Amino acid sequence: MSAVESTGSSPTPVPYDPALEPGLAAFLDLVEIIPLRADTIHANRAHFATIIPPIEQQATGRAVTWQNRVVPGPSEAPDVEITIVRPASPASTPAPAALSIHGGGMVLGTRFFGTPELIDLAERYGVVGVAVEYRLAPEHPGPAQAEDCYAALAWMAAHADELGIDPRRIIATGASAGGGLSAAVALLSRDRGGPVLAGQLLNCPMLDDRNETVSAHQYDGIGAWDRNNNDTAWDAIAGADRFTDAVSPYTAPARATDLSGLPPAYIEVGAAETFRDEAAAYATRIWATGGQAELHVWAGGYHGFSGFSPDAIVSQAANAARDSWVRRILDLP
Amino acid sequence: MTAPALGHPHLPAVPFDPEIQAVLDALPAQPALTRETLPREGTDRMFPSNDEVIAGRAIEWEDRVIPGPAGAPDIEVTIFRPCGREGEALPAVYNIHGGGMIVGHRSWESARVVDLVDELGVVGVNVEYRLAPEDPYPAGVEDCYAGVVWLAENAASLGVDPARIVVMGGSAGGGFSAAVALLARDRQGPPIAGQLLLCPMLDNTNATTASLQYDGIGTWQREANLLAWSCVLGDDLAFSEEAPAYAAPSRAADLGGLPPAFIEVGAAEMFRDEDVAYASRIWATGGQAELHVWAGGCHGFDMYMPEAEITRAALASRVSWLRRVLGL
Repeated sequence: MSAVESTGSSPTPVPYDPALEPGLAAFLDLVEIIPLRADTIHANRAHFATIIPPIEQQATGRAVTWQNRVVPGPSEAPDVEITIVRPASPASTPAPAALSIHGGGMVLGTRFFGTPELIDLAERYGVVGVAVEYRLAPEHPGPAQAEDCYAALAWMAAHADELGIDPRRIIATGASAGGGLSAAVALLSRDRGGPVLAGQLLNCPMLDDRNETVSAHQYDGIGAWDRNNNDTAWDAIAGADRFTDAVSPYTAPARATDLSGLPPAYIEVGAAETFRDEAAAYATRIWATGGQAELHVWAGGYHGFSGFSPDAIVSQAANAARDSWVRRILDLP
Repeated sequence: MTAPALGHPHLPAVPFDPEIQAVLDALPAQPALTRETLPREGTDRMFPSNDEVIAGRAIEWEDRVIPGPAGAPDIEVTIFRPCGREGEALPAVYNIHGGGMIVGHRSWESARVVDLVDELGVVGVNVEYRLAPEDPYPAGVEDCYAGVVWLAENAASLGVDPARIVVMGGSAGGGFSAAVALLARDRQGPPIAGQLLLCPMLDNTNATTASLQYDGIGTWQREANLLAWSCVLGDDLAFSEEAPAYAAPSRAADLGGLPPAFIEVGAAEMFRDEDVAYASRIWATGGQAELHVWAGGCHGFDMYMPEAEITRAALASRVSWLRRVLGL
């Protein structure tokens, strides 16, 4: 079903930072060459497979090692593949750790979308990272994605000694769908008394199946991950439950009625994208409970701008602000 | 007036950043502000002099007296300018100091202005405005507006590019900066290149969750804010939805057509929610705004904790935005 039809009368969007426009054009040409619709999900997956560099290539010349593993999946579900990224020179003390959850609308992508971030964290801060391969929708509706990610987190915490990590300093991190799933993992861990995350890093997170905020209407037919792509993805994830209270908060964290007792959140989003308002609302609801959150909404930023246009002044500032939070939350110098 | 009640149910507050908590714990207890004891005498000598602030950096300064609003007294401004840039049309930052619209002096923020002049090579103008309750609304905001009109009209002789004037301020100064941007839009006044709003005081109703969370804790508490709005607006309008938008910019019905905004606030302070709401309303019109809410930041954290990690990060974000809007 597609409950949201483009009306052609979207509210005026926030303009892009002119310095980001070339990057946005390149993103659309490279990543979103095929509009994401129910019947193009598989074609998009095949296309993604051609643009994600293999881990061998990502790690070349970088001061890291990597290893693929298979770890137990959720109860009565298949095992989960992970890739562990370690600094080339392991520290003598337990390392901070990150669970990386990739983007792609929960319908596209592989864990190797997230490994570049882990390589950076390993080189810069000695972080030991785990990138998780979670099942995709529509073959596996929500919350299968969050359950797989949580299984990986539980394995990390249970194998902290073997991994050489400090189980009190694990963050969950991801962009877009990976941001939404990082929020979902934080909810799952709270609700099940699981590993206590040191933080949840939610970069342009996909949180709300309803797709009805002002920003979700402003980016209808324009920009990266526009309203229509988002609509396709949520239809695939939530199916007939979409737009109802039957959608699990572990599928769409904006559905959670209680956002108290969560680990500190870092929420980053562009001012010029679909997810702007749901990201700001999620932060606001955390603060209302007395919880800790940091929110950055970058002027004129498109979805994923800071990763895809890293040389723009605004992206440099976004990447520096995120780095500052990582240092604060992981107690790094 | 419909005064927001004190003695409401306690709401759990967002905790302070650990570095900030340590500094707050060490601060001497401050006597509560009252209408009768607002400091006035000697407030211009409480902070280091301009020369002490400049501390040998290549920056010159002068005090000027400029025309005030029609029928009102003249205004004092201090102008800071990088040395050796004569003949250039530099961007300008026009700073409006904080203090709840009821206390303070421009010299309290000389350091904030001088640092930007030093780092960015801009001209800094720091304005003195009339305080409430002696001079209630609209005295303060009209003074601030008159100063920016003067700056734009005299840009050529001041070595300023009139197309690159940013209005800025913290707390009350952030609220005044937002109001000046509204006035400039509505009166077809000088073009404003950007509004840099630091923990701005925007909403007189004191009805947000954040305004209830910081009752009795933090560096600008609910009770001080209630006093401030009473002084500015008088008892009848103090907390009213009917208050004028140029006093409390949250009351503006239309936030379209404004210059790009930079809005920064701490997650652990009473202006958090009104500042997020202001940004959200600008975006909804298709206007440009950048919003930063720093984890555990108290009101004015950069002033109290200049060495904290979040202060360094916040200053870097501000400077990045100024470079973008001023083309530096």
